[in-house]
Amino acid sequence: MNDLYAAVIHDVKNQLAELALRLGERADAQQEMSIAMNAARRLSEMLLVIRQEAELLSVNPDSVDTGDFLAILAAEYRELFPALAIDIDTEHAPAFAFFDDALVRMALSNAMHNACRSAHSRIKLAAREQDKMLVLEVADDGPGFPDGMLKNDGDTPASVSNRGTGLGLYLARKIAELHKLEGRCGRIELSNDKGAVFRMFLP
Amino acid sequence: MANISKFTDKWVLVIDDMEGMRSQLRMSLTNSGFAKLHIVGNIREALERMANSRYDVILCDYSLGEGTDGQQFLEHLRTNDLISRNTIFVMITAEQAYEKVVAASECAPDDYLLKPFTAGQFNARLEKLLERQQFFATIDKTTDAKDWTRVIAECDKSLPARNKYFIELCKIKAAALMHSNRPQDAADLYREVLALRPIGWARLGLARALGQLGKKDEAQQLAREIVADSPQFMAAYDFLGGQLASSGDKEAALNVLQKAREISPGTMNRIRELSTLAVSTGQPELAESVMRQALQKHKYSPVRQVNDYAILSKALATQGKADEALSVVADARKDFRDEDSQIVLAATESVAQRAAGNDELAEAALARAMAGDINILPVGAVTAIADACFALGKEDDANKLLRHAIQNNPEDETIRSKVHDVLTAAGKEVTEADAMIEESTQEIIRTNNDGVRKAESGQLQEAIDLLCEAADRLPNNLQIVGNAALVIALHLAKNGDDPKMLAQCLRYRDAIIRKSPDYPRLAQIDSQLRQLKK
Repeated sequence: MNDLYAAVIHDVKNQLAELALRLGERADAQQEMSIAMNAARRLSEMLLVIRQEAELLSVNPDSVDTGDFLAILAAEYRELFPALAIDIDTEHAPAFAFFDDALVRMALSNAMHNACRSAHSRIKLAAREQDKMLVLEVADDGPGFPDGMLKNDGDTPASVSNRGTGLGLYLARKIAELHKLEGRCGRIELSNDKGAVFRMFLP
Repeated sequence: MANISKFTDKWVLVIDDMEGMRSQLRMSLTNSGFAKLHIVGNIREALERMANSRYDVILCDYSLGEGTDGQQFLEHLRTNDLISRNTIFVMITAEQAYEKVVAASECAPDDYLLKPFTAGQFNARLEKLLERQQFFATIDKTTDAKDWTRVIAECDKSLPARNKYFIELCKIKAAALMHSNRPQDAADLYREVLALRPIGWARLGLARALGQLGKKDEAQQLAREIVADSPQFMAAYDFLGGQLASSGDKEAALNVLQKAREISPGTMNRIRELSTLAVSTGQPELAESVMRQALQKHKYSPVRQVNDYAILSKALATQGKADEALSVVADARKDFRDEDSQIVLAATESVAQRAAGNDELAEAALARAMAGDINILPVGAVTAIADACFALGKEDDANKLLRHAIQNNPEDETIRSKVHDVLTAAGKEVTEADAMIEESTQEIIRTNNDGVRKAESGQLQEAIDLLCEAADRLPNNLQIVGNAALVIALHLAKNGDDPKMLAQCLRYRDAIIRKSPDYPRLAQIDSQLRQLKK
């Protein structure tokens, strides 16, 4: 990808973000803000995919409190989707976990956005430890993932569906895979259980 | 909103060069309940604000236009102790810049906000950061005071809970152990963290600890592995470069820093190291071009130091470009008007005058540089003067000055390594430089021990003569000053009051309190003085 293209995407993304911030200040434009914000996010993801494909993306894991991490994520989406109830379950989460806060946040933001759009009324965010892996989970009470998507698990970037282009899922998978420890590496899993369930497993 | 009351009394400074972003942040912050807000467009204004107010939160955009960026600004603030460790510094970045900021983690901000962000996310983050600020308040305060013993003690209080701040507490404690010259304990703690996860800063911390333990090969090997695993981790290059340089392999050190510079132009500290190395490995052209470029980029920026001009001037003088070297000094004089800078520039001028063949002017400039009280000179001035002394063939004066700097600051690793740099730049072998530093250190330890022994064997007057002479000569050496005060106090307690001696004792005691209020020797001095009052 040409650097110039990346620079233009970057500029447009910033303009959209500024538009979103301005709309956010108005009481009557929450939906418009959400649209602009999401568009900016999509461009951010695209820039990251470009970096990932050029093998420029690297993870910097450090200690993260999953409770704080999910609380911030929830606060953001409560603002963007005020009609939805967003619950957090960290009862079985470790006291501190290790991952790249910013990259994993970006991956989960996308899953969260899709969940918010598909949910009927409720989203559940959870963190727990399972088989020496940290599991971050986003579950909604909507119609669930379509079959084609369940098989794909974000393998290719362009599985266009009613849940988006699949770019976000692809990026989420790559970000999970960049987290490696002692021969194990991260992954994502999609499933349906009274709605769509997105899980990211991190070593 | 529930969090409004939490935010109202917090002072916030926002630094962003984009007008649109500034007004948006102002609105966001005001809506979130922040009432005490200062919003500026560049770091010069930010520093002016910071000189007059203490901020709880600083929000700084990474990209601040053409010149100095947010990361370089943060480095400037931290290395010059311009903000409390308890001030929350949040870097606002776009996704490309994020890695640069994270990987520079030598001076990491407390948090990153990736654009775009919503007000909700922003508030939730600040709430968590303020919670953290409160948790670390005491530790940060002791860190600001550089009271490492207490930092360690405070960390030890909180560590057993293994709460969400556990790893961060380990990081702070390990750094404090390094500052307290306990590299073995620091290494053990870094290893403990690494057993949980191979985090970059812990690996580098371990490398540093190994280096300080004298295990230079292991330290270099580990640093090389870090660089290979995380090519973006700039602090590892800086450390590796420093290790190579101090073991005498300046060419290799320069190569490492050059490689780092290709990845990220980097902070002024790296530019300084690199150009200093270039001069002393006989590549003044490289030093000239790197430093010129950096000074051009940071034109008018406060991250520049007077010594940067000294390096550039020296690089020019070494190439025989004496006129240019002199004009760099003249330029610097316009921007740096304080007394310490005048000393550095006088020393620098003397080297340039020498290169121009004006020996008399060179001597006169050096005499001006050496006119002041050497006890209050910052390390940059000491090294500049020593450099000039060597250039003018006054090796004895240079050695005397460097010896004094070491003896006056026995615990200061920075000074030792700068002295080492000056000596090797002047053509000394590494072993010769090491020996000179070691000998200077041992000499003052001997003086101290002689004094203590004399006092113990009852020769109080001899002890007083010896230690007071040393204390007056080396007022920053707290061990000497402390023992001088103690032997006078012992003498007074034994032989009764003597106003003149008491005044001298109290003068030393005050000097210690000013520098280190918790200095262990103080209790002993005071207990002797109390006996006197009875």
